[in-house]
Amino acid sequence: MLPLNATLAEPLSFSLAEKLLLVVLVAASAAGFWLRFRVVLGKILQSKKDSSFRLSPIGKRIWDFVWEVALQAKVIRQRPLPGLAHALVFWGFCAFVLVTLNHFAVGLGIGFLSPVGFFGRFYFDFAAVFALACAVGIFGLFVRRFLVRPKWLGQQLSYQSGFIAFLIFLLMVTYLASFFVADADPATRVLWWVHTLALLTFLPIIPHTKHLHLVLSPATVFLSHGSFSQIPPLAGDEDFGLIAGTDLTRLVSLQAFSCVECGRCTEHCPAANTGKLLNPKEIILGLRSYLNDLGPASEEPLLGKYNPQEAPFQCTTCGACEFQCPVGIEHLPILVGLRRGAVNTGAWEDDYGSKFFLALERGANAHGLPASERDKFIEKAGLPIFDGTQEFCLWLGCMGGYDPKGREIIADFARVMNYLGTSYGVLRKEKCCGDPVRRLGNDLVFQQLAESNLEVFEQSKVKKVVSICPHCVRTLQEDWKEYGTPPAIEHHSEFLARFANKLPHQQNQESIVYHDPCYLGRYRNVYKQPRTVVKLAGKLVEAPRNHERSFCCGAGGGLVFLGEETGERVGQVRAAELVATGATTVGTACPFCNSIFRDALAETGEAAPQLFDIAQLTARGLPKNDLS
Amino acid sequence: MKIIVAIKQVPERDAQIRIDAQAKWIEESGLQYALNESDAYALEEALQLKEKHGGEVVVLTAGPERVGPTIREALAKGADRAIHINCADLGARDALGVARLLAAAVKPENPDLVLTGLQSDDLGQGQTGVILAELLDLPHSSLILHVDKTDSGLTVKRELEEGWFKLIELPTPAVLTIQSGGNKLRYATLMGIKRAKAKEVRTVTAAELAVDAAPVVILERVALPQKQKSTQMIPGNPKEAAAALVEKLKFEARVL
Amino acid sequence: MSGIWVVIEERDGHVSRSSWEAVAAGQKLAALTGQAVNAVVIGAKTEGLAAEVATKALGKVVRIEHPLLAAYTADGFTLALQQFFAVEKPEYAVFPHTYQVRDYAPKLATRFGQALIGDVTAIADGPVFIRQLMQGRLNGSYRHTGNGPCFVSVQAGAFRADEAQAGAAPVSVFTPTIEPAQIRTKPGERFRGTAQTVDLGAAQRIVGVGRGIKDAANIPLAQELATALGAELGASRPICDNGWLPMERQIGSSGQTIAPRLYLALGISGAIQHLVGIKGSQCVVAVNKDPDAPIFEVADYGIVGDLMEVVPALTEAVKAAQQ
Repeated sequence: MLPLNATLAEPLSFSLAEKLLLVVLVAASAAGFWLRFRVVLGKILQSKKDSSFRLSPIGKRIWDFVWEVALQAKVIRQRPLPGLAHALVFWGFCAFVLVTLNHFAVGLGIGFLSPVGFFGRFYFDFAAVFALACAVGIFGLFVRRFLVRPKWLGQQLSYQSGFIAFLIFLLMVTYLASFFVADADPATRVLWWVHTLALLTFLPIIPHTKHLHLVLSPATVFLSHGSFSQIPPLAGDEDFGLIAGTDLTRLVSLQAFSCVECGRCTEHCPAANTGKLLNPKEIILGLRSYLNDLGPASEEPLLGKYNPQEAPFQCTTCGACEFQCPVGIEHLPILVGLRRGAVNTGAWEDDYGSKFFLALERGANAHGLPASERDKFIEKAGLPIFDGTQEFCLWLGCMGGYDPKGREIIADFARVMNYLGTSYGVLRKEKCCGDPVRRLGNDLVFQQLAESNLEVFEQSKVKKVVSICPHCVRTLQEDWKEYGTPPAIEHHSEFLARFANKLPHQQNQESIVYHDPCYLGRYRNVYKQPRTVVKLAGKLVEAPRNHERSFCCGAGGGLVFLGEETGERVGQVRAAELVATGATTVGTACPFCNSIFRDALAETGEAAPQLFDIAQLTARGLPKNDLS
Repeated sequence: MKIIVAIKQVPERDAQIRIDAQAKWIEESGLQYALNESDAYALEEALQLKEKHGGEVVVLTAGPERVGPTIREALAKGADRAIHINCADLGARDALGVARLLAAAVKPENPDLVLTGLQSDDLGQGQTGVILAELLDLPHSSLILHVDKTDSGLTVKRELEEGWFKLIELPTPAVLTIQSGGNKLRYATLMGIKRAKAKEVRTVTAAELAVDAAPVVILERVALPQKQKSTQMIPGNPKEAAAALVEKLKFEARVL
Repeated sequence: MSGIWVVIEERDGHVSRSSWEAVAAGQKLAALTGQAVNAVVIGAKTEGLAAEVATKALGKVVRIEHPLLAAYTADGFTLALQQFFAVEKPEYAVFPHTYQVRDYAPKLATRFGQALIGDVTAIADGPVFIRQLMQGRLNGSYRHTGNGPCFVSVQAGAFRADEAQAGAAPVSVFTPTIEPAQIRTKPGERFRGTAQTVDLGAAQRIVGVGRGIKDAANIPLAQELATALGAELGASRPICDNGWLPMERQIGSSGQTIAPRLYLALGISGAIQHLVGIKGSQCVVAVNKDPDAPIFEVADYGIVGDLMEVVPALTEAVKAAQQ
């Protein structure tokens, strides 16, 4: 029985030989750590400087650091049980800082925290609680890795992880056991030395394994996340993207070495979940292997040996990977960077891709249709032309302007705007916003489109834009900044939600399952507004994977303009999930999601749920005699 | 191989057509321009031949100042240098007149092969290459989908009507007009555009070439076609509608 | 300089339909200008061909014969006609606008310091020759102003072959002087493309099947129509997804892009991905039971009706028209 007033036992004294041995072992362990860590640090520092890195917004960085590192919020929230276990281990480590320092001081005869003093007693008891939690946590993680064996941790068992888990467990157990012995007991000395050896074995292993994240990830989280999916501008005439080691920046190298191989990115990746080659974890580890084998000064191509060229081109840029990563790795700029390297140099030879780029080189829209088709639609739908006096410019986009369903959505949204008395107009000339070429890494075409559109905006004196397409919203607001100053833009869900109290509340109780578009949810953090709009039209049903966990429809990243997918269709997987909720209607807020689900739901047959954009759901509630 | 590719900058395919004040041509203000489609295939064929057999690809174009970006696009795709015949009155010359300009620029270059696109997207005459061959006194073939270099010259694949093809052998130097669709086109890349800045563009004025410019054929006037494209819905029961449709397809659309 | 000479082209040993159309055009030009219209055939053995031509209302029919003209070459035909026209001094030379004519007529015209007015769709008083510009979106009126023959080629179908008036014309022979060294190109035998994989991209006629076909068992109906038309069978994405037709037959942005002269969309609603794949089609016919289907916006002809009834009726009508 553990008496409540038990204190931590410490060996009474150490001989000179023991002290010398301790010093030698500490030196050796530290040297072992530094020898490898120096190499890693070197590779990171020798990488290209990030020319566009800015420390601001510093507030956000500090907040992310506190939230994600100190509070382990992302680790826990996105994978609750293993996350909590890890958090306990982490907090245990944090709590143990003083304990560890004191432990070595004791070995040298200069212990500074007395186990029987007021603060010492409190602190060691406090640390004991954490030690217990940590031991439980690490044991749980061990069971998960070796007995449960989730596939995200990879096929091969990591004995290295098992050994580290054992060391951590040993550290906690030796600490806790020290409460059960007396100072004079020889067992105390044994415990002390076992604890010391475990620590000194652990230290040099850190930089050789994924446990490097212990040192790097706090820095990574702080230095990354300037914003979500931040694609850096190309740095000068010779920068075409991530082609070889020399293109890897310090931030990318830091991120590559920070990977803990947890597999959360891959777990949520739509491509990886449908049998594609792309595996976000392997992309990052591929970069790490490249840096280890060849270093940041190598001219060898990044794609090829460590990751096939095909893999990055299967990415829908949904952002689930970057969103999930607990150590601050930014997969999206890396994937787009790899694509840039292939596309900006012409190394990517894809039939559909080439045709797509050629169509946009010569034409105005992503479909390769004549611009007169858009003009015909504007005329037929009676949409007012923007003349500088209206409040909003309604951006049609390539789907709103040319796709039959997209046009229906625009027409219905226009009806709603008319009903609300909003003044708006559409531009005479619109070119594709450039989202697909931006995500595919074609900076040449993107620059042409962005600059051309920005000029039209300026000449037309556009101040505020509203769009039905999250891709357009994102691209206009963020990506066009590289070439000018875009006007303010919002998504139509944000617009409609603002007027929710003026819009009719439909009485029917039809169940509507709402699908969060990637570019509205994860990219823009807009979750509430579309739901507000859906609730005006019926009963909101959540898909199993919703909000920031929403599963991509598969159209993004320019993929909808390329050839057929291999393996299972991403859109079909998501459609099946939506259908399985039993809702009678699927509600979308993105014309691409709508287009994908249109085909996917059609295969469900006669019992398929209806498919409506939130604008259509709103419009059907308008009074019937409203001829606008 | 030294290959000269004659390219033309034409109004964008879906440009809005408005007749100009004199009704002699279309209103050019506000038009966007692009590389003529079959010329892009000609350029692609030339670049592939260069990649296989080495040599030089020179693009040649006649036109006003605005053809600059199209020249750069061709250089960006891989052409080595360009010759620009600065000519402000291209529209006033007939096919023979334009070919004379090009021939005057080609002659001193002594190329092994001259490629042109099959026809231009604006005038669509399809004659420049053939006339060029005659002016240079070189053998030629047209509607070519594929070019192979052989020991004795070239073997080319020519398209015939109704899905037939023919292989033709001819010696070099020669002139070929290239049909669209024979190759997969490469897209312009950022790297290509940046590298193009360092490539030579030699400008020569039409006057310097001193060719006979008097036209033998003139385009008097342009007009919009009477029938605008609109859907003809064919009424009647299935049998009636079917018969009416077949009649229209045969004599109106002339596709049967 | 006087006279109109129509240059006849041979197809499978007979006068080609486009040549009859050129004769009709020549006769119209004759009516406008008061000139006599004649015809010339070219080859190594032209007796049969000339006899066919001589059944039309023409002033003269001439056989330009030479062994080196057995196979078409630009050098050979140009040389032969150059020599012939140097003698006859025509005011007009009329050709059918075929691939072959496009290959040598401009060369021939250059020999006379002239330029061909090609692909003419109509001849008006003047004479003024109308041809299409900007891919058919503009018409241009051309006039010949040079001192020399006016070379003209006429678009297939612009003039009606059956309007070539009948008559009886005398036939004579002209033998040009051609040396083998003057023929610089060596043509091979014609051949078809390898038809191993389905290449909808090259097909001239295509019948597309969409969800309106309702059941895989109904596809043979569409196939019959395709066979009657000599067309390839294609499909919109859902049909291929269901496995009713193989993926190579998918028409759309992620499948094949087509550019046939005739495309029949059966039971296809017209989603953007499909429309993008068919926008190169010259003539689009849509059959759908929904009068509001977007496909009708881009179709040249439309029939609203039940596929099960319309498609067999079309098959019959097509077969009847081919008699």
